[in-house]
Amino acid sequence: MDIYELMKEAVLDGDEEEAVRLAEQALEEGLELQKVMDEGFLAGIQEAGQLYEDEEYFLPDLVCSADAMKCALEVLDEAMKNDPNAQKGAAAKVALVTVQGDVHDIGKTIVGAMMTASGFEVYDLGTDVLNEDVIAKVKEIDPDVLGLSALLTTTMEEQGNIIEMLKAEGLRDDVKVIIGGAPVNQAWADKITADGYSDNAIAAVKLAQEVLK
Amino acid sequence: MRMNAPVLSPEEIKRIHKDSIRILEEVGVKVPSEKALSILEAGGAKVDYDKQVAYITEAMVDAAFKAAPKEFLLGARNREHDLWLPTTRTVLNMDGCGSNVIDFNTGEKRLGTLQDLADVGKVFDAIPQAKVLWSCIHPEDTPNSRAAGVWATATSLINTCKHVQDEVQREDELPYIIEILKAVLGGTEEDVIERKIYSATYCTVAPLCHDKEMLEGTMALTKYKAPVLLYPMPACGSTGPASLYSNVALANAESLSSLVIYQLTTPGTPLIYGSALGRINLKTGAFLEGAVETELMMAAMVQMGKYYGLPTMAAGCLSDANSVGMQAAMEKVLTTVPLTHNDVDIIQGIGLIEGSMTLSLEQMIIDAEIFEHCMRMHQGIDVCDDKDYFEDIKAVAQGGHFLKQKSTRKAFRSDEFYNSKLIPGDTYDTWKAAGSKDMKDYAHEKVAAILAADPVCPLDANTEKLIREIMAEAAAKL
Repeated sequence: MDIYELMKEAVLDGDEEEAVRLAEQALEEGLELQKVMDEGFLAGIQEAGQLYEDEEYFLPDLVCSADAMKCALEVLDEAMKNDPNAQKGAAAKVALVTVQGDVHDIGKTIVGAMMTASGFEVYDLGTDVLNEDVIAKVKEIDPDVLGLSALLTTTMEEQGNIIEMLKAEGLRDDVKVIIGGAPVNQAWADKITADGYSDNAIAAVKLAQEVLK
Repeated sequence: MRMNAPVLSPEEIKRIHKDSIRILEEVGVKVPSEKALSILEAGGAKVDYDKQVAYITEAMVDAAFKAAPKEFLLGARNREHDLWLPTTRTVLNMDGCGSNVIDFNTGEKRLGTLQDLADVGKVFDAIPQAKVLWSCIHPEDTPNSRAAGVWATATSLINTCKHVQDEVQREDELPYIIEILKAVLGGTEEDVIERKIYSATYCTVAPLCHDKEMLEGTMALTKYKAPVLLYPMPACGSTGPASLYSNVALANAESLSSLVIYQLTTPGTPLIYGSALGRINLKTGAFLEGAVETELMMAAMVQMGKYYGLPTMAAGCLSDANSVGMQAAMEKVLTTVPLTHNDVDIIQGIGLIEGSMTLSLEQMIIDAEIFEHCMRMHQGIDVCDDKDYFEDIKAVAQGGHFLKQKSTRKAFRSDEFYNSKLIPGDTYDTWKAAGSKDMKDYAHEKVAAILAADPVCPLDANTEKLIREIMAEAAAKL
C-alpha cells in the first residue's frame, strides 16, 4: 500500500493518530500537497461519504472519518497556505455554533461532520456562545455560511437576534445564515429571515450547497 | 394474574445503582453554578471549581434518599382532581417544549400559539385519565419571548382545573410564577406550599451536565416545596453510551446528582423520578422517541425509581411520526405497554407526534384510547372465585349461548371488558354508509364537541384578570 492509500485508509478507519502521522510524513518528505489531498485524505473522506450513502457506514463511522480528516488538515494547514499549487478544493467556509444559553452540542457536531465529509471547511465555534462573540468570529473567519443551532424553545430566539446583529453590523449580505435544531422549522426561519432551515444533517449539507449557488 | 413486563431483575437493578454511584464518584458531574457547587461541597462532595465538576459520594446519595418524601400531593385547582403520588392507577400527562401544532381546522402544521395552549387545557380537562398538564408547546405569540415560559404556565393554569407542571427556565421567572399561583389559590405562599398545584420539570443535559439557569431557577423553587420532576434525556449512541444498560446507568447517575442537589438545597423537597431517554437514528443521529429500545430503557428507569421508593413518571405514548396515522399508532402502543405494565405513576407524552415537537388535539383523544387498551392488557386475566362461571357453563351446556346469563350482563358493565368509544366495530357496509370514518375522524368530532362546549370548571373572571395583570407585568419586566 503506498502512502496515499494509507492516508485514504486512515480517514476511512477514522484513525486520527495515523492521519496525523501520515500528514507529518508528507511534510517531511516534501510530497506534493495537492496529490496528498486528492489521492489521500480527500479520497478517503469521499469514499466514507459514499459508504454512508450506501448505508454501509453509520453516523459514528462518518464522524470518526471527518475528525481524522480534520486532524490531517490541521497538520497540513500552514504548508497548504504557503503552497500556491495546493488548494483545499477551494472549500467554502462554514462556521457552526450553538447559540447563547444553549449547551446542546450533538446536533451541531453531527452537522459539522457531515459538512467536513462533504468538503466544506468547518469552523466549530462551540456551544453557549455569546451573540457578540458569534459576530466577532464572523468578522474574523469570514465564513460563507453561518449555521445556528438551538435545541430549546427558549434559545431559538437567539437565532433571530444574531441575524439582527449581523444586519446592524452590515455583515448580513456577506454570509448566508442557516438554522437548525429540534424546535425550529421553516416558518421560524422565514420569520427571522434566515436563508434556510433543515431538519437533519444531510439536508443541512444540501442546504449549504444550495444557498451558496 | 396481571400482565407485567419487568426488564430488570432485582440483581440488575442493584448493579445499575452501583454503576451510577461509580459514575458519580469517579467521573463526576458538571455543575456550572457556584451556588450549587458550594452546597455540594458543604454536603461532602469533592469539587473541582476550575472544571465545575462535583464528585458525589454514595453516602450523599443515601442521605438524600432519606430526606426525599415517598408520598406527596400534586394538587389541582379543582380539588376533585388532586393526585396523590404514588398513584393507585397510572395517569396521563402531556410532554413539554414542543413548538408546532397540526391546526385543528386546516390540518396544516404551524407554530403553536397561546390559543392552542388554551384549547389543550380544555381538551385535557375532558380526558378523565389525564391528570397532570405540562404546557406542551412554546407559544410563539407572547409579547416578550423572555416571558414565554411564565405566559405558558399561566395560560395552562387558566384553562385547566387539573395539576400544572412546567419548567422554571430562569430564576427571574419565579416571582411571577409564585404570584400567579397565589392568585389561582386566592391565598398566600403557605397555600402555594400546601396545595402544590404546580410542579417543575428539571432536565439534566446529557452526558452528566447541569444547566446553570434552570438549575438555579429550580433550586429557588424548592423553597416553596413544589414537586420537581427529575428528567434525564441521554440518547443511546450520541449523548449516551451505546448500550441500553449503560445508558440507563448514566441517566440514573444524572438523576441521583439532581436528587442530591435538591435535597441539600431544601431537605424534604418532593421529587418525582422521571425519564426521557432515547436512542438515535443510526444514520442521521436524530433522537428517536418512538423506538422500541427507547421504551425498554424507560421501563428500566421506572423499575429504578420504584426501587428507590420515589413516585415515577416516564415519557411514553410517543411517536416520531410526522402525521397522525399508522406509524404514530404503532409507536404509541409500543411505547405505552412497557410503562402501563410496570405500573408507572404518570405517563408523559399524549397528544404529541414528531418526537413530542408537534401537538395534535385529536391525538390527545386517540392516545387516551391507546392507554386504556394497554391498561386493560396489563390487568391480565383474573382467575378467582368471583369470576369462576362454572355454573353458567353448566346451565348453557352444549350448544346455545351465554347472552342471557346474569353474569354476562354484569360482566359487560365491569372492567372485564374495555368498551372502546373510538373503535365502533361496524361492519363494512355500515362503516361505508356512515362515511368511512376512521379513529382520527371520531377523535376530531370529539374534540370539536369539547371545544364548542362551555369549560367544565372555568376560572372566575376576577382571578383570571389578576393573572393577566401578572402576565403583563412579566412581559414588561422580564
